[in-house]
Amino acid sequence: MAAAEPFCLMDCSLTRLATGRACFNLRELLDAIRTASDAVLEHHMMRCALENHFELYEFPNDLARWCWTALGDNVLGEQLGLVDPYQQPSTSALRAALANVVEDRLWGLDRAPWCHPGLELHLIESRLIAYDTGERITTPSALLETIEHMSLRSLFFHVHEARRRTAGHTDDFSLWLEVSGNAESAESLVTALRGIDFYFLNLSQLRQAVIEAFRHYFEEAPPVARIVS
Amino acid sequence: MRLLDRYEEIVGHQEVERLRRLAERLAGKRIVHVNSTRSGGGVAEILGWMVPLMEELGIDAHWEVVSGPPEFYRVTKAFHNGLQGLPVTLKKSDFNLHYEVNRENAQRLNLHADIVFVHDPQPIYLPQFTPPGQVGRWIWRCHIDASHPDRAIWKYLETAIAGYDATIFSMAAFARPLACPMFLILPSIDPLSDKNCAIPEAERLETLSHLGIDPERPLLLQVSRFDRFKDPVGVIEAYRLLKPYYPSVQLALAGGSADDDPEGAQVLGEVLEYAGNDANLKVLMLPPDSHRVINALQRSATVVLQKSLKEGFGLTVTEALWKGKPVIGGACGGITLQVHDYQTGFLVHSPAGAAYRIRYLLRYVDKRQRMGQTGHDFVRDHFLLTRQLRDDFTMLLCLDHPEAGTLVV
Repeated sequence: MAAAEPFCLMDCSLTRLATGRACFNLRELLDAIRTASDAVLEHHMMRCALENHFELYEFPNDLARWCWTALGDNVLGEQLGLVDPYQQPSTSALRAALANVVEDRLWGLDRAPWCHPGLELHLIESRLIAYDTGERITTPSALLETIEHMSLRSLFFHVHEARRRTAGHTDDFSLWLEVSGNAESAESLVTALRGIDFYFLNLSQLRQAVIEAFRHYFEEAPPVARIVS
Repeated sequence: MRLLDRYEEIVGHQEVERLRRLAERLAGKRIVHVNSTRSGGGVAEILGWMVPLMEELGIDAHWEVVSGPPEFYRVTKAFHNGLQGLPVTLKKSDFNLHYEVNRENAQRLNLHADIVFVHDPQPIYLPQFTPPGQVGRWIWRCHIDASHPDRAIWKYLETAIAGYDATIFSMAAFARPLACPMFLILPSIDPLSDKNCAIPEAERLETLSHLGIDPERPLLLQVSRFDRFKDPVGVIEAYRLLKPYYPSVQLALAGGSADDDPEGAQVLGEVLEYAGNDANLKVLMLPPDSHRVINALQRSATVVLQKSLKEGFGLTVTEALWKGKPVIGGACGGITLQVHDYQTGFLVHSPAGAAYRIRYLLRYVDKRQRMGQTGHDFVRDHFLLTRQLRDDFTMLLCLDHPEAGTLVV
């Protein structure tokens, strides 16, 4: 059964800009969190996922990673790793949450930790340019096939960026299943997709989690209830 | 076969198709690139593939080259060194010469375009001498690490940059605060060039035989100019620390001719002296066009080193990773973006560190092979020319739509 409106496959590219500003110590990081533009915070907390190349990166955002590796502050690294920007209602709320964590850490330290030369955190802002690939997908099974092969940038756009657009509510895949008129029969898949802890996965791991949710749905759902291709 | 079809075989249909979709938004635009040489050097290499590819994607792309008397190049070489932080002394007449040569070139070159990319400092003053309205946007592409420039030179160049709509740097660490947008675009390699294309096994073996390298024994390789910042002496030290554990290992230090670089010749002398008389240690002086020889050496290496103390991006690292080799790199500059511990190689801080990591890689063949594969995939996904073109295109779209937030085109 084909869905009413086809799924529009998008791709995106990240344009990054230098700000000319760098942090050398924890106090400067706190100042940057308070005063840098929204685009800077969004880059280092969210869009940096597009630059996360390997399976073993410890943390999902640049700030946690920098505190861990450059400042050697493992406690703060762990704390910042737990700040989920997609759970924050706005960038100003994210800014406040980050500032609170860093300030609390600084409060208990006699001296602000510094990084070694060359390991500064260079503040970057970025902008996502999204474009229609021209590909249209009409069935959930075709969507699964597409997800298996789509670029990681597309995956980022349809999951991370969708969550940002919808204030953390949904990704584009589950939204499409919902509005395609088959929400009831695909409810378990919608729930599974929205239940993926996407912020703590790199993009390759996320692709695998999404694929597994689809496969589980196709294998487990009773044929009567399943959306079939 | 069209150029893009050949790249499609490497990066996949999807990537090339996406590039075409992006290029459609820029179709018909006239783009001019300006640099200071048509052959030799990284910029000329990049423009050599970029301009034809842009044309194939429907963009009216052109390449112009500034020219001047020999004195002009002496001055611009000093600019280059000064931008990289070396103290240089230039007279007012030197700056005047640069300024006037730019004026003459602005009159001579065809700079009617929607966008003009000016590469590096040589042609940087062109916007000052071009009538208003002739060029839609001026973009200065800095390929140099300008993070700690000589002040006098930076002040002179900064005045010129005021005439630009945007700048591009390779890394945030290389940029300086400027009033116009400072885009970040990493360089890339051409997988089909002589230096990076697949080569016949017979050619590889013949190259090794010609250079006196045994193809059956482990080979360590560093490809770079003979420059103290590349630490060739440190590489030899690492090799000697390793030798007691792996007596059969060979080391090749391959670099270009240093005839036109007095300091290069001096460093080469130091390297040769330090190398001494060791049949397993080759210091190779190669002509500038030895791309296929370097290709063969990189493909023959067991482990590639780039033990720099200071580095721009380090395209030799990219080349080695592309050929499936783990890289042991100095923890500096762009090397840190490419070499990730236990993933694509190891970052090191000393000859001892390099020796220790080489031992590890020689010991664990499976890990070496896995890192090589990861490195190859990493370069395919991030450091091939199609990605650089995509970044350039999205930057241009960004400039056309400066409003904040996600842009859907």
